[in-house]
Amino acid sequence: MKITILYGTETGNAEMLAEDIQSEIEGDHEVEISNLEDFAPADFDADCFYLLVCSTYGDGDLPASAQPFADAMAAEKPDLAAIHFAIFGLGDSEYDETFNHGPKKLAELMIAHGAHQVGERVAHDASGSDMAEDLAFPWAETVIAEVSEKLGEAA
Amino acid sequence: MSGKIAIVGAGPSGCYLAQALLKKAPDLQVDLIDQLPVPYGLVRYGVAADHQGTKGVARQFARVFERQGARFFGNVAIGRDVTLDDLRAAYDAVVLAAGLSTDRRLAVPGDDLPGVYGAGRLTRALFEHPDAEELPDLGAHPVIVGNGNVAIDLLRLLAKAPEELDGSDLGEGPSRWLAQSGIKTITITGRSPAARAKFDAVMVKELAKLSDVRIEVVGAGDSDDPAELKTLEALTAIHGHGDGAKRIIFRFGLTPKAVEGEGQVQAVRFDTESGEEVIPCTSVLTAIGFEAAPGLPRDALVAEAADAEEGRLAPGLFAAGWFRRGPRGTIPENRADAQALASVILDDFSADPTRMGGQVFDGLDNIVDYSGWSRIDAAETGAAPEGRCRTKLATRETMLGVAGARETTK
Repeated sequence: MKITILYGTETGNAEMLAEDIQSEIEGDHEVEISNLEDFAPADFDADCFYLLVCSTYGDGDLPASAQPFADAMAAEKPDLAAIHFAIFGLGDSEYDETFNHGPKKLAELMIAHGAHQVGERVAHDASGSDMAEDLAFPWAETVIAEVSEKLGEAA
Repeated sequence: MSGKIAIVGAGPSGCYLAQALLKKAPDLQVDLIDQLPVPYGLVRYGVAADHQGTKGVARQFARVFERQGARFFGNVAIGRDVTLDDLRAAYDAVVLAAGLSTDRRLAVPGDDLPGVYGAGRLTRALFEHPDAEELPDLGAHPVIVGNGNVAIDLLRLLAKAPEELDGSDLGEGPSRWLAQSGIKTITITGRSPAARAKFDAVMVKELAKLSDVRIEVVGAGDSDDPAELKTLEALTAIHGHGDGAKRIIFRFGLTPKAVEGEGQVQAVRFDTESGEEVIPCTSVLTAIGFEAAPGLPRDALVAEAADAEEGRLAPGLFAAGWFRRGPRGTIPENRADAQALASVILDDFSADPTRMGGQVFDGLDNIVDYSGWSRIDAAETGAAPEGRCRTKLATRETMLGVAGARETTK
């Protein structure tokens, strides 16, 4: 399956996790990876499944590298009805009011433009005891299986 | 691209720079040198003990050593163990990322009275920096001067009840010191109006979780600016929070004029819009910025810099992070800064294979390499008691003992 991992990052933690996911799945799939700040809404390709990895920064805001993408989405209003994505969030429950609001906003942005979310949005907590990849690898496996089934492809 | 680059200071700026350099040019030999036996600088000794999520960037930095091939030379002070000139001769490029660790003084009469303490001095002691001075008695009524995130960190730690430090890496001694501090009132003052306070709104909001405080925000004022309104809203929201034992008072528009007292701080005299005001206190904690520590001639280097804005000090000599820009900017800003500097360095980089690189440290005793740090790290996390995630080794001697002999660096 063609998969593109898109990450929105501020401190680099989401970038590192995105690269880890790439290493984990590239044996079985054709995987590309891009920082959201280098990705334009016009680049979305219906033949590709998108894995989004996004952190939260400041007061529940999108991380810096997702901001230009959000601005471009607002300006270009692309039709993403043929696009499937799944999203993994990074956050810190020390700031519980806004915990994982960055990825939440990014998912809402995708859905608002017609994209289909596959699976639940999974959130890692920097103040918890789990390693992000220990949650993200099973998440990636699950959503890839789900989208394979949905699109009638062999996994 | 091959070549040898030395980065002086293994804090967040130095580590992000090594990460960016090695991403662009994986064949470089990048050596991170730190005067401490342990890496990560302010991530370990500046980021508050109760902000473990923020310290998560250390996982990225570990990879710089474990996967990207950077080397750590800990317990090496440039200027003392190796001169800057010798270091520059040994490497194709040298980057100074040593940060700024000396507390800026109030520069008003009485700022040297016993009872005036800089935020850096206090946080080093709280976070068990091996060069820290003793934790002082702050008395019942400390005043914090400063309106940045460092000031809020201090305020929050001083105000926390013991159980609110669960999950942190605050050591046994500092934890006992906090529990027994006897603090009744903390007044935090800023020169600017509340709307222009430098702290992040999210840092203010976090105070609403404190269980044993009652918070008053005096004279927050108003603003039309959206960014300023965010700060004001956060302040307004915490006003009146809690009915606990420790009283926290936010004051604004107070410019320190003098610290007063006979042989010991007794009050701070401020200028305000409506005349002078004297606030009695038992100690003064200043959180108004940092300057270069003695050792590297930072101010002269920056003043003579070829292009300080880009980070070029002289041919083959660069500056990064706070050392370049001054004591402003959080961890992600230093990441962006490091990425920009990596391009500047590599743009006109030329390697001379005859340079000796890390061999310049041969003959120095007690260098701690990355595997030595890994042993320290394992010992610290392994010794964490109930309610803590780490017990820091607090002296150079214990660090060096656990780090053990240096392995070959070649």
